Amino acid sequence: MPADLRSLAEIDRVIHEPARLALTAILSVVESADFLYLQRETGLTKGNLSSHLTKLEEAGYVAIEKTYRGRIPLTLVRLTDAGAAAYKAYRARFKKFLERT
Amino acid sequence: MIDIDRIEKRTVRSFYDDGSFEIASGFVFVLIGGYLYVQTALPKGSALAAIMGVALIGVIFLAGFLVNRIIRVLKRRITYPRTGYVAFKKQPVSPRKRRRAGLFGGFMGLLLVPLLTLAPSLSALLPIMVSFPLAMIAFKIANKAGVARFFVLAALSAVIGFALTAAGIGGARGIGLAFGLIGGSMILSGVTALVVYLRRNPRPAPDGPEGPDAR
Repeated sequence: MPADLRSLAEIDRVIHEPARLALTAILSVVESADFLYLQRETGLTKGNLSSHLTKLEEAGYVAIEKTYRGRIPLTLVRLTDAGAAAYKAYRARFKKFLERT
Repeated sequence: MIDIDRIEKRTVRSFYDDGSFEIASGFVFVLIGGYLYVQTALPKGSALAAIMGVALIGVIFLAGFLVNRIIRVLKRRITYPRTGYVAFKKQPVSPRKRRRAGLFGGFMGLLLVPLLTLAPSLSALLPIMVSFPLAMIAFKIANKAGVARFFVLAALSAVIGFALTAAGIGGARGIGLAFGLIGGSMILSGVTALVVYLRRNPRPAPDGPEGPDAR
């Protein structure tokens, strides 16, 4: 298999999915964001957003904290160190692939 | 294909969407400008003028605290309920960078005091000396976050500095007016941004729990 194709095959599929890529890209530039912010920025439905966040959480890429702001429930999401490293590696690998092709 | 750079930039830009940064900074600039203007209006050598001169450092520190406080209050009351809560990363400043900035500030201060004493006519340039760094900061924000109205604010800040200097309004009075006019422009820009933001983002009706539990 050519090196550029092998590089693409090794790409992180958890992050590569467009909705999850958008989520990790947003979370990479913020400390934390709540569910409403992520929903508005990505345009995902509540159900879709929940499912993608769960997948990212299962991979250890995001940490989800349930808290309250006054009496309003707040779901805070932040990128973990592993998530930040995976996103950085994904960006570098994908950029390299695009440069080669 | 997803444009990651665009998403990252849009996220950074969302901090400025509600105009709270301009409103808070503008308010504080007007406050500093007013303070300096009042100081120049007092009779030279009066006790109050001396006290106000000494207290200026405290006012500047208070201004820095006020900007953050006002932004936090505006965002908590207006932005978070409409478009959600987001905490932005604080850019870590390396000790080397901090030391360099301190040295630069100290050097400029040491240079400015004897320069103005030896050549008082140079005080006419003070509005430009104030407005240009502010214009550069606005330009940097416009460039980094892609907020077009900050280009206008940068140009306006530079024009205000030039105009005051050309009109011969220098010294502390010129600085006061520069801060006041730039601050006023910022408030106007911020309020306009806030009105647009409020029109585009009505407060959503509460509809049960949010987050992964909503499934």
